[in-house]
Amino acid sequence: MSLSDYLLSLLGVYGLPVLFVVLMIGSVGIPMPATLMLIAVGSFVAQGDLNLGWTIFAASAGAIAGDNLGYLLGRWGGHRVVQTIAKWDGGKIKLEQAAEWSKRWGGIGIFLSRWLLTPLGPWLNLTSGLTNYSWPRFLFFDAIGEILWVVLYVLLGKFFSDRVQALSDLLGSLAWILIGIIVIVILGRKLVQYLRSPSAEDEERSSQPADNLVIEKDA
Amino acid sequence: MRRFKWQQWAVLAVFVLSIVMVGVVGTRTVRRAVYWRHHRDETIRPWMSVPHIAHSYRVPPDVLYQAIGLPPGPPRDRRPLREIARQQHRDVKVLIDDLQNAITQSRLVFPPPPPPPPPGDKRP
Repeated sequence: MSLSDYLLSLLGVYGLPVLFVVLMIGSVGIPMPATLMLIAVGSFVAQGDLNLGWTIFAASAGAIAGDNLGYLLGRWGGHRVVQTIAKWDGGKIKLEQAAEWSKRWGGIGIFLSRWLLTPLGPWLNLTSGLTNYSWPRFLFFDAIGEILWVVLYVLLGKFFSDRVQALSDLLGSLAWILIGIIVIVILGRKLVQYLRSPSAEDEERSSQPADNLVIEKDA
Repeated sequence: MRRFKWQQWAVLAVFVLSIVMVGVVGTRTVRRAVYWRHHRDETIRPWMSVPHIAHSYRVPPDVLYQAIGLPPGPPRDRRPLREIARQQHRDVKVLIDDLQNAITQSRLVFPPPPPPPPPGDKRP
C-alpha cells in the first residue's frame, strides 16, 4: 500500500488533525501527497463526511504553519550557510543580489508558489528566511496564497468528487508543466541575450579602426 | 554572433532538457485527461469508503455493503476499506475484488441510463 493510501486511510479514521499534520510536513519540504489529500477531503465534504469551513481552516493552518517553520529554518538555521557563501569569491555580492531580488519579487513569488507553482514553495520559504525577507510580509503573502490554494483544490475535489485520483494526477502534472515553461522562457531569454551582446573579439575589432585613425593623424 | 562557452552549453542543455520534459509530461497529461473524459470509473483504493465507491461508480451503496458482509445502516459505515479489511482479518485486495465483482453484477441488473434522444425525435 502506498503512502497516500495509508495517509488517506488515517484521514478517514482520525479526521482533520491528520490533514493539518500532513500539510504542515509537506509545506516544510518533505514529500507528502498534499494535492491528493486536498482533493480527497473535497470529496469527503461533498458526501457530508466533513464540514467545509473546518476543512479549509485545518488545511490552511497546517500549510501556513509548515511554511513558517521553513522560513524560520532558513532564517535561524541558515546562518552557517550564509557565512560559508559570504566567504566565497563574490559570495557577499551574490547574497546581496539575492536579498535585493527577494525584496523586489519576493511577495509575488511567495504568493504564486503557494497555489500555482506549488513544487517551488518549500524552497522559497527557506530562501525568504535566508535573505531576511520581512516576516510580516512573508506571512501576509503566504496566508493569502495558501488559503487560495486550499479553497481552490477542496472545491475542485467537491465538484469532481467521483474522480479524485484522476484530478490529483492532472493537477500535479500541470504544476510541473508550468514550472518547465517558466524555465524554458528564462533560459531562452538568457541565451538570446548572450548571442546578441557583442563579444570581446567584436569590441577589439571595433576599437582598432579608431586607434589607426589616431596614429595616422599623429603621423 | 557570439560563440558558446561551456556555461552557455550548460544553459542550452538545461533548456533542451526542459523542453523535452514539458513535452513528455504534457503529452502524458493530455492523454490521461482524454482517457478520464471517457472513463468515469476510478480505481478502487484502500483509503476509499463504501459510500465514496458507490458515488464514484454510480451503484446503490446497499449492494456494496452486502457484498462485503456489512449491514447497510443507517448509520452508514464510512470507514476506509483498509480499516474494514483489518477488522474482518482479510487482505484489502480481496475486499476490493469482492467490491469490483459486486459492481459488475449490479451493472448487469441496473445498467447505467442510456444517452438522451437526439433533439427533434418525437417518437413516444
